[in-house]
Amino acid sequence: MFTYAGIVLGVMVIVYIAAKSFKLSTELSMLAAALGGALAGGFGLPAQHIAEGAMTYLDINLIFITATLFMNILKDSGGIAFAVRGILSRFHRSRSLLMVLLTVLLLLPGALTGAGSVTVLITGGMVAIVLGTMGISKARTTAIVFIIAGLSAAAPPVSLWAMITAAGVNMPYIGFFMPLLVPCVVASLVTIFILGWRGGEIDLEQALQQLPRPPGGMSWLRVILPFVVFVLLILIGRRWPHDTPVIGLPLMFLCAAATSYVLSPIRLDFLRISRETIEQLLPLIGTLTCVGVLVQIMTLTGVRGLLAVTAVTLPVALVFATLFVVLPVSEAVLMWGAAPVLGVPLVLLFNTMGLNPIVALAGMSVIWPLGDALPPTAIIGRLSVEVVGYRDAYAKFLRSCVVPAVIIMVIGTLMVIFSSELSFLTGL
Amino acid sequence: MRAGSGNRGGRALLVRKLVLGGLGLLLLVTSGASFYRHRHLQEAVVLSPGVAEVKKLSEYFDGIRGTINDCNLYFFEGEEPGATVLVMGGTHPEEPAARLAAWLFAENAVMEHGRLIVVLSSNRSGTTVTRLGGAYPANFTIPTDWGQQTFRMGDRWSNPLDQWPDPEVYIHYPSGQYLAYVDIRNLNRTWPGRPDGTLTERTTYAFMELIRQEDVDIFIDLHEAELQYPVISTIVAHDRGEELATFVSMMLSDEEFNIGMEYSPQNLHGLSHREVGDYSDAISLLFEAPEPFLDATRGKTTREQLLTGVDEFVMKAGEHGLLFERIDEGGWPIDVRVGRHTSTVLQTMESWTILNPDRPLSCRGVPRYAEVIERGLGHWLHDPSKAAPGRVVTE
Amino acid sequence: MAILQTIITVIYYILIAYVAAILIWNLSKTRKWEQEVLYIIVLIPFLLRLFRLK
Repeated sequence: MFTYAGIVLGVMVIVYIAAKSFKLSTELSMLAAALGGALAGGFGLPAQHIAEGAMTYLDINLIFITATLFMNILKDSGGIAFAVRGILSRFHRSRSLLMVLLTVLLLLPGALTGAGSVTVLITGGMVAIVLGTMGISKARTTAIVFIIAGLSAAAPPVSLWAMITAAGVNMPYIGFFMPLLVPCVVASLVTIFILGWRGGEIDLEQALQQLPRPPGGMSWLRVILPFVVFVLLILIGRRWPHDTPVIGLPLMFLCAAATSYVLSPIRLDFLRISRETIEQLLPLIGTLTCVGVLVQIMTLTGVRGLLAVTAVTLPVALVFATLFVVLPVSEAVLMWGAAPVLGVPLVLLFNTMGLNPIVALAGMSVIWPLGDALPPTAIIGRLSVEVVGYRDAYAKFLRSCVVPAVIIMVIGTLMVIFSSELSFLTGL
Repeated sequence: MRAGSGNRGGRALLVRKLVLGGLGLLLLVTSGASFYRHRHLQEAVVLSPGVAEVKKLSEYFDGIRGTINDCNLYFFEGEEPGATVLVMGGTHPEEPAARLAAWLFAENAVMEHGRLIVVLSSNRSGTTVTRLGGAYPANFTIPTDWGQQTFRMGDRWSNPLDQWPDPEVYIHYPSGQYLAYVDIRNLNRTWPGRPDGTLTERTTYAFMELIRQEDVDIFIDLHEAELQYPVISTIVAHDRGEELATFVSMMLSDEEFNIGMEYSPQNLHGLSHREVGDYSDAISLLFEAPEPFLDATRGKTTREQLLTGVDEFVMKAGEHGLLFERIDEGGWPIDVRVGRHTSTVLQTMESWTILNPDRPLSCRGVPRYAEVIERGLGHWLHDPSKAAPGRVVTE
Repeated sequence: MAILQTIITVIYYILIAYVAAILIWNLSKTRKWEQEVLYIIVLIPFLLRLFRLK
């Protein structure tokens, strides 16, 4: 079995590298690797598994599509330009206050929805423009948006890594609030202050000249109301979960998009915006679809098991010492699939060692999102690059992430190692 | 000249689009046909002579009528009066031994004392889909004395075709506990259910109505678990079932195989062993058998692994002390897993009778652990083509 | 409540159909073969759900 799975894994890696060397996109290279793995594993081209794998992230793709549609409508209506100009005019004198406010803006959407991509799509672009006017380079701006978006996904109340892993070990999702909130808020503030402190004085006049002018008639009400609709729908679901129907995030975004469309002071071409949204998102939703196929074939052939068993059977000291690499890499390959594949065995391992599984899992959840900037998927990293409008080398953006990423890795790893000592956090 | 090459380019583009579209269509049709066959595979049940009546779940709660989860309920009336026991398989249809053990009761049981109600597909919707990313086989086949019988492989959750969309977070009713969003489709996270909830919540509500209206004394929920999960090879008992579960565990561990006993946690909501006991007069018990197929460290995902439980990778995890149940080259064959469940149910009836002699429960015709292993569970699955008229139903 | 929930589910199917239509439209317009392959593979799950197959 080890030899078989090892050979299939080898074939997958070779096909992936070969596809990349033929200048195929990451998405198609992953698809090719999956098909190569299925053939090498003796499964031929299994239509059922290819299609089932492609289905894996259908709901997440729908969230991406509807959230981006909402943001594009808001942008085309001039709402974003209006909001950015407003924030700058009001808070440009206090850099620290502005940075704390921007951190809150970045943390909220992902914390509420569990998806870092939602943060990037909803507030990432707007915050990036403000950061740009504060004299922060595009690479650092992209790094700030990416890292805090990742932390927002790990932040409570909804942290999918923690929830999926907890569900996998039949642990109730309770006691996680403070163990997740404290590191996420601390690491976010550290990130924005480290990466954003240096920069020029904000020249309000010049900044306002650079920013696009919103159409006449745009107002705060028109900008905020779609967000209010979105937040209200979430809050109603939370406050009266058993007296209201299940709406789901895609429809919530769609309602926000519809509100924005109706409130736009200028007439918008909905069909054109829809077509452009899909075109803009194709690399992202294509990646997710192909990752689904890849994971399915890895599971079918035992490659997933090989990776999981290798990770959990390393010496304990090595597990601790390599968490900061293993977790982001697993996230890069499997995305949330990393939680059931690696999270479940690791939490069970920590539990048998007498560590506090809640704090340990919270520590892991803080590290996981760092992998969203790494290939092959790099979903949130690529999305951040796209939303911020960063055009330089991807490696340069990654270099900007290094310092805060190391701090987050240290925080997360220490939370795992000292989880028993930190167990008081679960009762707060 | 330029117009000619433009036409050729346009034609080549069109041909390429048609070829790629054709390949996509082929993938769609082939996979779609496979998914359709899976969802509509008919499973035959040859009724045991002991089955007095087959009812529908909707007879207890109309809100489930006409849905895919309006499942069959098999009623066995004892020759003598006694208590009532409900045995439920198919809560998590990715745990086949649970369904198959219940199947052996449906096809073989004859009650001597008391009443038995058997459910084979408590979350029927979950039997019509396999886990995305899990690479499960769509079905599996058990060899029988007359040939073979094929069963649907299922998922842990209801099919999104029957319940969609999911919320952004699942808030359990009535405790208000937060759970992973996907667990709103998990039948063992939605107890005690609610009448105007989602399909899965309505299903558990219907079962609660069945338990209350039929005065069920013992409720048994059959499961399987991955070996890396601490709650394995055990009976999880509600507070009121502790004495019974301890007795059963002691008897079985002494005479047949090791099985533990655990208390249902007070703060873990939505699970049958907690909520059925809290919201009805029934004693609620949950049995777990080992299923290496569910382990995250499993190797190749095949029908063979599902049925034999042989897995080198899971063994490797065991060598490193990561498992809560032993595993060797022999794996955990389906006969062993089914046999554990049939024996545990039968032992529960016997132990109950010792503890409650005035309200006995006894059953014959169903094989115990050693017999299932010796002859294979297929020996107790009957040929639908030879069954008496009106004695075959489909799941 | 059940009726409301059914309406929401129907809206989701309409959304799926709309996205599938846009995907097909964009597929017909693109001239890059890599994009064509991606559009097709992304389209498959939408059609499988739309036709209630998966």
